[in-house]
Amino acid sequence: MKKIALVALLALSLLLPAFLAMAQDDLKEIKSEAFGKLQRPAVAFDHNAHNEKAQIEDCLVCHHSGENGVQDKTTGSEGTPCSECHKVKPTDKKATSLMRAYHKQCIACHTEKKKGPLACGECHVRKK
Amino acid sequence: MHEIYNLVTGPLAWLAWGIFIVGSIYRLAIMYILAKKKDAPSLAYMSWGFSLRSIINWLIPFNALGWRRNPLMTVATFAFHICLVVAPIFLLAHVALWDQFFGITYPVLDEKVTDIMTMIVVAACLIFAARRIFQKEVRYVSGFQDWLILVIAVLPFATGLLAYYQLGNYQVMIVLHILSGEIMLAAIPFTRLSHMLFSVFTRSYMGSEFGGVRRVKDW
Ligand code: HEC
Ligand code: HEC
Ligand code: HEC
Ligand code: HEC
Repeated sequence: MKKIALVALLALSLLLPAFLAMAQDDLKEIKSEAFGKLQRPAVAFDHNAHNEKAQIEDCLVCHHSGENGVQDKTTGSEGTPCSECHKVKPTDKKATSLMRAYHKQCIACHTEKKKGPLACGECHVRKK
Repeated sequence: MHEIYNLVTGPLAWLAWGIFIVGSIYRLAIMYILAKKKDAPSLAYMSWGFSLRSIINWLIPFNALGWRRNPLMTVATFAFHICLVVAPIFLLAHVALWDQFFGITYPVLDEKVTDIMTMIVVAACLIFAARRIFQKEVRYVSGFQDWLILVIAVLPFATGLLAYYQLGNYQVMIVLHILSGEIMLAAIPFTRLSHMLFSVFTRSYMGSEFGGVRRVKDW
């Protein structure tokens, strides 16, 4: 009985990272709970399909880290929601708010690449 | 889409704001110089007290006699002007753009509220248009300029609603919305929309003349 439990635990611990790594497979839309009631429709964002189509291999492009107001573009933060570090209403005036974080990151790249949505309704699409 | 969107949100936006601000200062300055040259005595009669008295009394709905004559127009006029100015300034989407481009934020109204305000502006424009068409004495004095500013004023709000609800082709609608807003801004100093700049002064002038010279109320 103990042996089975041990094997099961071992198997689980081996699978866990795989589960984590797969988490983004299921991410089809961005709908952060931090905002509370959303003013706008959630944003369709098929994580892996987007990055494949946009040919982004480096996770760091989007998943940076940082603390105390300084961004760290060399360490990844995959799996940590943006809202963990970016508050909806930051107390520090210079800090990037959650909405600004999403908008700046998404739209800056689309502008630079001359591809991808720019206007509100292209991302916040109403369900017909 | 990228080229057009970047054009209307970039260079054309700067141009529209530039024309609005520089044009407004220019028109106000020219008007002041003209008033000083041609009508210096009345400038001397301008009084803060009588001006404010007149402005405040006209700002209260149904207070001035002129407001009591036509209740529907009074309600429409007040609702229209308040919504026209307040809704765009405190609109979530506009503040989101200030935030995105300049990192500027300030409190916004709930989108449900600005949504209704926008509908009020469009509805009021329909009432104004109907009045110009169906009321004979108004039709006689309505000219091209009157219709022009009505169309210029209604377009940003109508296209804004359509874009917000994503009715019709969204990408076309959002570009039309931004463009029509820019046309309105740029048109303020150079069309009858300039009453936005001058109304305070015309009211002050009337208030000062009626109060200080004729010694009667002008409301
Ligand atoms: C184009 C930007 C972008 C890139 C590139 C990117 N991600 Fe993400 N990822 C996001 C966003 C946005 C979220 C949602 C974050 C949130 O909810 O705040 C996310 C969420 C995740 C999540 C959490 C999924 C969940 O269901 O909560 C994981 C795990 C993840 N990403 C891993 C990765 C890995 C691994 C890579 C590199 C192969 C990568 N990401 C590349 C934007 C990106
Ligand atoms: C581990 C913490 C952390 C996470 C997670 C995180 N960020 Fe940041 N981010 C920071 C810090 C710290 C800064 C720099 C201070 C600031 O601007 O608030 C920053 C800055 C930014 C900036 C401004 C950069 C600039 O050039 O001005 C953007 C945009 C941004 N983050 C977007 C995102 C997005 C989108 C996500 C989620 C996919 C995310 N961040 C996740 C910590 C984090
Ligand atoms: C590092 C660059 C980059 C970042 C960051 C980025 N994108 Fe994109 N995105 C692209 C590119 C490039 C395309 C165009 C892909 C194509 O059509 O070839 C695109 C396309 C899209 C599309 C259209 C997809 C389709 O199937 O046509 C959506 C929606 C989108 N992005 C949403 C987002 C959101 C939301 C974010 C922020 C969380 C984001 N993107 C961040 C580069 C980026
Ligand atoms: C490139 C895609 C993109 C564009 C363009 C975009 N947004 Fe967003 N926006 C996002 C993402 C991603 C989030 C986070 C979504 C979430 O968690 O629901 C977000 C969040 C928001 C939020 C906070 C969440 C809510 O619904 O209350 C608001 C408000 C918002 N956007 C409004 C706008 C407006 C207005 C515009 C146009 C001026 C705009 N967005 C353009 C991607 C975009």
